[in-house]
Amino acid sequence: MDKTQSENKFSAFIKRLIPKKSVSLSAKKARAGWLFVLPFVIGLIVFYIGIIAESIGYSFASYSKIPAARGGGYSLTWVGFSNYQSILTKTIDTKTGETFLERMFTGFATQIVEVIAIIMLSLFVAILLNQKMIGRAAFRAIFFVPVVVGAGIIAKIDYENALLESMSATGSIDMGSVGGGGLGDLVDGMDIAALFESLGIGTTLVSSVTKLITNIYEIVNRSGVQMLIFLAGLQSISPSIYESCQMEGASSWEIFWKITLPMISPIILANSVYTVIDSFTSESNKVMSYILSMADTTTVNGQQAAAAWSYFALVIITLLLVALISRKIVFYQRRND
Amino acid sequence: MDNNTMAPRVKKESKNKIRVEFDRAPLRERLKAKYLNAYFYKKILVAIFRFVLLLGISYIILFPFFSKISTSFMSPKDIMYLKLGTIKLIPKYPTTDTWKFLIVENHYFRALLNTFLLSISTALIQTFVCAMVGYGFAKFKFKGNKLLFLLVVLTMIVPHQILGSSFTMHFMYPSILGIDLSRLCNALGFTQGFYNTYVPIFFLSLTGLAFKNGLFIFLMRQFYRGVPDELEESSYVDGYGVFKTFIKIILPLSVPMLITVFILSFSWQWTDIFYTNTFLNASEHTLLTSNSFWQRLPASLEEISKQAGAYVETFEVAVKNTAGMLIILPLIIMYLFCQRYLIQGIEHSGFGGM
Repeated sequence: MDKTQSENKFSAFIKRLIPKKSVSLSAKKARAGWLFVLPFVIGLIVFYIGIIAESIGYSFASYSKIPAARGGGYSLTWVGFSNYQSILTKTIDTKTGETFLERMFTGFATQIVEVIAIIMLSLFVAILLNQKMIGRAAFRAIFFVPVVVGAGIIAKIDYENALLESMSATGSIDMGSVGGGGLGDLVDGMDIAALFESLGIGTTLVSSVTKLITNIYEIVNRSGVQMLIFLAGLQSISPSIYESCQMEGASSWEIFWKITLPMISPIILANSVYTVIDSFTSESNKVMSYILSMADTTTVNGQQAAAAWSYFALVIITLLLVALISRKIVFYQRRND
Repeated sequence: MDNNTMAPRVKKESKNKIRVEFDRAPLRERLKAKYLNAYFYKKILVAIFRFVLLLGISYIILFPFFSKISTSFMSPKDIMYLKLGTIKLIPKYPTTDTWKFLIVENHYFRALLNTFLLSISTALIQTFVCAMVGYGFAKFKFKGNKLLFLLVVLTMIVPHQILGSSFTMHFMYPSILGIDLSRLCNALGFTQGFYNTYVPIFFLSLTGLAFKNGLFIFLMRQFYRGVPDELEESSYVDGYGVFKTFIKIILPLSVPMLITVFILSFSWQWTDIFYTNTFLNASEHTLLTSNSFWQRLPASLEEISKQAGAYVETFEVAVKNTAGMLIILPLIIMYLFCQRYLIQGIEHSGFGGM
């Protein structure tokens, strides 16, 4: 959106705010609604849309510095889709010959698996934490620690934490078992891989599962907000439904599939959207870290913008797919609206 | 069996007292019936399984903190042993030097105060603004309501790290819709536009564009959707305007949820490295998360680290971990007091229908 358009929008918006002589109640309420969302709208028009447009613009432009002798500054020239073309076919990994496009889609696959794992884990843990048991308060407190401190600086410090690795390294606490398996081997991906392979399950599935297991810390760390939201959803299911189900003789398994899951499905949708956004755009993921590594603070990087925007297009398409799939599955309890 | 023996016998003892006698099954029988059945076994097994599982995941969550705490008390010698695998979590030659020098030489308390003031003010602003915007989305039907909410979601998709340089440019050379504001900045005494001031962070908070504010708006909207409309209608009838209703009735009602949002935004601002390091660069703004605190090795520690010899890099990592502990320690203390409200707030949010 360019500036004149946003200006028009702004003036139209101002006009709407000025009261006319007599207005209906609904128009009055609509105006009040605009007033409530005004801070966000102002930020969007004054600042955010401009920046986004600028970033999209950079992805179609090539940047060149004007030498100081001719006044300095910089010039941008329109180059069409050539930035996109060059970045998508650019080889990132010289060893494997992986291009950026390929990296984007392999990254996509791992992210999707991770999103599903996060949703399942957080739903499972939320159901457990919702039950009455010994030490529930303590467990709840522990499980939401990553929400509060896990982001930002701690993630950055932990990202390249050699100490953590050397402390949780395998084989140092030797339990004397065959093959020197120690305590650390309890969650060793290799064993599980061997187990699954001997069962005759496909290797791609096995490798993604073992990757999840080795990444368990990351996954648990990133599912805190989702757990919170699921807990809220579980609390809002009326206990009388469960009671009547138990009276009819349903088992807990049946209650989960017939009551809990349908009732919580809108929250699963909301959580999936949040998780897709959160995990696709987190710095720790392969594609994002590559895009961020291209950043240059002194110049405008058209290629980086192109890479970023082709990746965001993928994220938006993923979100649309999630919304479309869930439209069929999600169950909405009828309310008197 | 005879009916007479089973029936309870009622004896009148005095005017106001009666005594009831009946045959109870012996204690052993009763215990047997209670505990020796499949239902009870299943319950116990499930409880044990659940407990062990939760304990395991808790260990995964807490292990990095244990390791950080233990390495923070390690001397360079211990680091060497740690690398060799001789020791694990408990240092042989414990020392508090790392803590001491980080606190003294890197001006911990000054940074702590600055971070605290910044976090608490942005968290308050963000909580109020997100509550307001969320309320607008939840309770008012206006043209473009849904589209605008979609834009809220979209603002979360583009991580601000990507836009970092644009952010800096726009705040260095501020302009609103083509009107240049740099003169105004100069008049206000800012030399580099709004760069190197707290203005950008406050601006983003005020407009609901700061870190993960989309999530907060969503949470607040969900909460307000559960609030019955009759409440506001009766308030309108009693003569309150829309804003007065919001301030006097809706906000007090939503305190639990506001606390949840406040805790989240406070702690995310506290641990944030992106915004503070993008907008504030000079040494006069020492925050806990600025490089001058957590990435700088204090001079005294540098000397100590020379003892570590070949393991000097590991020692530096250990110091960084200690700095991390120092940063989150106040946050954890706050969390211990507030975690009840964090969960309670969202529990009573009425998240049902979306």
